[in-house]
Amino acid sequence: MSTSALRRLILIGLLVAIGIALEFMNPAFGTLDNLTTLLQDAAQVGIVGVGFTMILITAGIDMSIGAVIAVTGMICVNFLSYTHLSPFVFIPIALAGGALIGMINGFFITRFKLPEFIVTLAMRGILAGLALIIAVKDEMGFVQNVFIQDERYLSFGGSVGPLYIVTIVFFLLAALVQFFLRRTKAGTNVYASGANPIAARLSGINVDKTIVGVYMFSGFCAALASVFLSARMMTAMPEFGIGSEMDVIAAVVIGGTPFTGGVGDVWGTVIGAIFLALIKNGILKLGISPYIQPIAIGLIIIVVVMLDVWYKGFAAKSARRTAIRKRSGGADTLAR
Amino acid sequence: MNELASDKEILLDCRKINKAYNGPQVLFDVDFSLKRGEIHSLVGENGAGKSTLVKIITGVIQRNDGEITYNGVAVPIAHSKQDAQKLGIAVIYQELSLIHGMTVAQNIFLTKEPMFAGLPIIDIKKMNRMAQEIIDRYGFQLRATDIIDTLSIAQRQTVEILKALNSKASLVIMDEPTSSLTSTESAQLFEIIYRLKADGISVLYISHRMEEVFHLSDRVTVLRDGYKVAVLEKDKISPQEIIRLMIGRTLTDNEEHHRMMKKETPFVLEVEGLSSAGKFYDICLRLREGEVLGLGGLVGAGRTELVRALFGIDPVDSGTVTFLGKPYTPSVTNAIANGIGLVPEERRLQGIMGLISIAGNIGIPNLDVTSRYGFVSGAKELELAGKAIDLMRVKPADADIPVGNLSGGNQQKVVVGKWLIRDLKLLIVDEPTVGIDIGAKEEMYQTIERLSSAGVSVIVVSSDLPELTRLSDRIIVLRKGRIIKEFAEGVITEEAVLRAASGLLEGGER
Repeated sequence: MSTSALRRLILIGLLVAIGIALEFMNPAFGTLDNLTTLLQDAAQVGIVGVGFTMILITAGIDMSIGAVIAVTGMICVNFLSYTHLSPFVFIPIALAGGALIGMINGFFITRFKLPEFIVTLAMRGILAGLALIIAVKDEMGFVQNVFIQDERYLSFGGSVGPLYIVTIVFFLLAALVQFFLRRTKAGTNVYASGANPIAARLSGINVDKTIVGVYMFSGFCAALASVFLSARMMTAMPEFGIGSEMDVIAAVVIGGTPFTGGVGDVWGTVIGAIFLALIKNGILKLGISPYIQPIAIGLIIIVVVMLDVWYKGFAAKSARRTAIRKRSGGADTLAR
Repeated sequence: MNELASDKEILLDCRKINKAYNGPQVLFDVDFSLKRGEIHSLVGENGAGKSTLVKIITGVIQRNDGEITYNGVAVPIAHSKQDAQKLGIAVIYQELSLIHGMTVAQNIFLTKEPMFAGLPIIDIKKMNRMAQEIIDRYGFQLRATDIIDTLSIAQRQTVEILKALNSKASLVIMDEPTSSLTSTESAQLFEIIYRLKADGISVLYISHRMEEVFHLSDRVTVLRDGYKVAVLEKDKISPQEIIRLMIGRTLTDNEEHHRMMKKETPFVLEVEGLSSAGKFYDICLRLREGEVLGLGGLVGAGRTELVRALFGIDPVDSGTVTFLGKPYTPSVTNAIANGIGLVPEERRLQGIMGLISIAGNIGIPNLDVTSRYGFVSGAKELELAGKAIDLMRVKPADADIPVGNLSGGNQQKVVVGKWLIRDLKLLIVDEPTVGIDIGAKEEMYQTIERLSSAGVSVIVVSSDLPELTRLSDRIIVLRKGRIIKEFAEGVITEEAVLRAASGLLEGGER
């Protein structure tokens, strides 16, 4: 079994074990109602995580995702307050806005060779301010809390059968992106650009185009998550999503996609997002202070990364041993 | 093919190529021609214009003027990398250009993946099958589904060559392909090169290693200072002749260098039973003052690991080390304080800080000298740097230049120089001349010899056998982490070292 498959199996096992433990401690955990909410929470983070996973595969980072959520929320609220456009018309516009932000990120990263972290962090600041500026205000100029009443918009927060729409969209998106990454040329280009951009270029891959595309997709995913968030909350505020990078990074890292580029996949992120939602949900269901949540998430990230590093060292050692064995075996016959 | 007219034999023909990079001209009316199915070496010191010529051929840069024909077709001045690839020119890069984390098949077929008919979906099974067919056709020991990361450097190079063959290359350019290979792996590579030749594929071979050029080449083109100096035919090729043409003077490579020198000076370093699990076991060695001890062996034999442990970078499990008669606990701080210096294996990764100036690089291990109460004296640092630059003849002799901007040979001089300005007792050099040109190599040898006659002991780790035999007063060969053989007197041959390193000792013992 490959190391990543083993890692995934352990993670799933842990997920089930924690779930069973929680069920014993609080029977309210296992109710259908709670489990659908848990998956809804997972999907909310996970949709952004799908885009973020691709970014990490190219060895980049996108710090602007939280602010994209905020701005997209404000764009939608403006459409709802000042126009009579159907959500089915303006939501695509809002999603294109997310992709456009990603395109700008990608443009600065590829065209001017700026560090991804700096570009997207600056973008985060700009968007956070922009969200406040375009927020719907009252006569006094204070940000107004808009209650969304449009039924069509709110239907995005609804459910089909036992699953919320956001959960279904998350799983479909994950499946689609996983297929894209593994079975298409463009997906191969994403891995190649992250693993060895020089080699990728020499092989005739347009690395810059790939990178811009990946940031566009990340922006799109964040915007998509924003629509589901405001539909669920029945409102949007300019600080929605700000700071949510932490959860997204946690989900992706727990899922096993490293920051080094060239490796990773979406299934890991799906499991990571569910794992994260489970921990948060468990803390609530055990009646522990919700303030513990970020601390718990921080600790989990460190433990997971520590295990990954430890395991990688172990794997490298055994690989080296095999290599030495192979090499000296070959040497005997060829020395002359 | 051989029966055809001579102009049909020519695959690539370059005439009167000129190239200037915004000012200084680097190529002057260079002619270069390559026959079908020939192994042609391009040699010259760093700066002679080899890489510029190759870059022009491969479309990385454009020539100013001159004519190029490939396969009888004129190549326009504005020809790009993609155009060159389409013509069938493939380059095996010095820094391997494979994608980690992907399989052999994925790498071979990168951007040329077979698809399901009419769908934008890669047919992985078909890709693996096709890759395996190519591998088997050339008789390589590889599996299409192996992940690149699990392969040895030599195997990775094989994958690169397969990648070139898959793109229907008629010319394969290899730039320093053996720089990170052991002797055995190089031998394997040469067999591949012969196989390419037998298949009618031309190989343009670039190397600093004269023996390789000598053994492989059908013809050799020598460049010097941007001019084509000579084209040697097979029967005219000899390492001495090539070197003479390259540098315009004759290097003395007298046989005396190969004689082990027995020294009777006191011991500087005494190592007893040093072990580190998985790396090396029960190492006992003694090093005399002013002695040059060569550590031979294949890559992975534990040589680098041993010197790293002596310098205190990696911990050891057991054993004792005595330095200058006193017990010595290896740690980097201890090593530097005791006058031990290390020139590490991978210069770019471990030896230099590329963005920092020469003065800064030299100052860093000498902070005890350059600083007072925690403040660094810039003047003192410059003074030390000036000393090191003079001692090592670093070019350009400007302490403010970032080391990353220097040539490989000069970078290496800085790495050595930073130790020389201390009261040095023992210098450890690990693969000191990898990737540097022949002139700088010679200077490196002279530096080591000078240090040795000044009473500094030197440990040389090298996979370059002529280098090892030339420098060493005594050679210890490691195999699988253990000392397997010591050559202390008489004339040492490269063959004897290689036999020991490969586990073929006298008496048929493995």
